[in-house]
Amino acid sequence: MLPLSLLNAAQNKPMLVELKNGETFNGHLVNCDNFMNITLREVYQTNADGDRFWKLKECYIRGSTIKYLRVPDTLLDAVKEEQNRAREAGRSARGAHVSGTGNRGRGMPQRAGRGAPRGGSIRGGRGRGRGM
Amino acid sequence: MASLQGYVDHRVLLILQDGRAIVGVMAGYDQKSNVVLSDSKERVYSMEEGVEEIPLGLYLVKGDQIVLIGELDEAMDQAVDLSTVHAEPLPPIRY
Amino acid sequence: MLIFSVFKTLTDQRVTVELKNDLCISGVLKSVDQFLNIRLDGIQVMDEERHPHMTAVKNCFIRGSVVRYVLLPAEAVDTQLLEDATRREAASQAKR
Repeated sequence: MLPLSLLNAAQNKPMLVELKNGETFNGHLVNCDNFMNITLREVYQTNADGDRFWKLKECYIRGSTIKYLRVPDTLLDAVKEEQNRAREAGRSARGAHVSGTGNRGRGMPQRAGRGAPRGGSIRGGRGRGRGM
Repeated sequence: MASLQGYVDHRVLLILQDGRAIVGVMAGYDQKSNVVLSDSKERVYSMEEGVEEIPLGLYLVKGDQIVLIGELDEAMDQAVDLSTVHAEPLPPIRY
Repeated sequence: MLIFSVFKTLTDQRVTVELKNDLCISGVLKSVDQFLNIRLDGIQVMDEERHPHMTAVKNCFIRGSVVRYVLLPAEAVDTQLLEDATRREAASQAKR
């Protein structure tokens, strides 16, 4: 499973993003691209020491500044199911000799449907302080 | 090709550039060695106390933050009582 | 690209890798790619008392960008051949 398919499936889901400078951003994913540039909404920003907070309506984060993202556990199963479904669809399409421009074989996996389970909110990330 | 293929669905140890050590099951990776870990935990090392494991869940780590990915021998790993292990945290990368 | 080729000839040799976090790991070189990412088997961390973090790890993938040095077995490298190849590559790049 590709990291970017997981990120794509995380749209409208809560996530925690830590930047290379140690700042963290807690919010819901609005959009992302293949560079992992992302926009979040309803964001809580925390500085690297974890002692100052800001509330942002929306923010844009350049992918290259990200250290890691933490996403709801439930997303993994959602993405796996989606991939299985896409594979099945590809197989049956081939089996039925569907011609033309249809989704043959390895099309882009569609995003998880609206009914996908929603993970709970994510608590703050870091372990015991590292004093950085 | 030094690929990560053999590690998918295996429990791995990930060392990050800031010195953190994370264990989890490798769910996927890509060409830039971005990595998805499921059921992941951070292992916090210190000299004063034993190793503390902090659950992190589903984690996507950017490739440029990764130092090393090692396959964990699960039997060997479980044989170690982490609460008795005292060690300095790994140093961060310095260029 | 030349160093990539050199590393490819060194597969199945035991090497020691020093990382930019001062960790030293020895192991058998299993594979290498264009970024000089490295796969090692049968690894052993130097000064294991100080670094018990990897005792349950027997093989690993190391990102090329965090490697400081790789110690090679001298007998496995034909330095004369490497010097010649380096000159040839430098010459072909100068022409371009």
